Amino acid sequence: MNNRLKVLRAERNWSQGDLADQLGVSRQTVNALETGRYDPSLPLAFRIAKVFQQPIESIFSE
Amino acid sequence: MSPDMKTETDLDAPKPLSRKILVGLLLGGLGGVAGFTVAEFLGDSITRWDDDVNVVMGTILIGMALISVGVIILRPRSIPKGCGVLQVIVLALAGVMLLAPMYATQLASPEYVFGAVIVLLVAQTAANLMLWRLADEMLRRVMMETSTIAFWALQTALFIYAAAERLGLVETITGWGLIGILMGVYLVSSSIAATRRGMT
Repeated sequence: MNNRLKVLRAERNWSQGDLADQLGVSRQTVNALETGRYDPSLPLAFRIAKVFQQPIESIFSE
Repeated sequence: MSPDMKTETDLDAPKPLSRKILVGLLLGGLGGVAGFTVAEFLGDSITRWDDDVNVVMGTILIGMALISVGVIILRPRSIPKGCGVLQVIVLALAGVMLLAPMYATQLASPEYVFGAVIVLLVAQTAANLMLWRLADEMLRRVMMETSTIAFWALQTALFIYAAAERLGLVETITGWGLIGILMGVYLVSSSIAATRRGMT
């Protein structure tokens, strides 16, 4: 699965740690999400969408 | 996207290859020193192969606990909150439990050593449960994948060994030896699961 996490994070000038704190996960998890090594669960995907205030399908794609 | 927009902050920038090589050499050097120290300490006191295996496993686990302390200090946000200390406790207790049956009898009777090992096992189990509860979803996934990989590997190995033993083709392995082999397989499985998620 592809995602735009890195771009969205950069637009807000957030570090991976900043995003991790907002999502309630570790920085390793954010790094794994951005590099495609890990796909989020549905609850986490919804939290990501809420943090970036965008629909899930605009953040994640196949 | 603005040309001034950063895609990475200093914290997230990839580490240079030279630094990774230096860290690898440093860890390798520390491992060599640790191995030499253990060998000097043991001398000829260990005569059973299953004790050899468990001394190595116990030392590795305690070494991993010490490395985890370093990670907690240097990169605290790389691990979910609270998990770092629990990981250290789990690793350290596992190492001590493997070393205790071989060395603690110098301090107490076998019955007391066994009782202490059981107490440590209960404590380690509690720490593992707390670690599971505090872990984020990716760390839980890694823990589950580690268990899955270890289970299938050990099940396959155990069947092969059991069939060979039943056929009289190999000697019986002690339970103590089996637990040392199990820990080795578990550590390898853990490395595989963690590497898949970029956690190494």
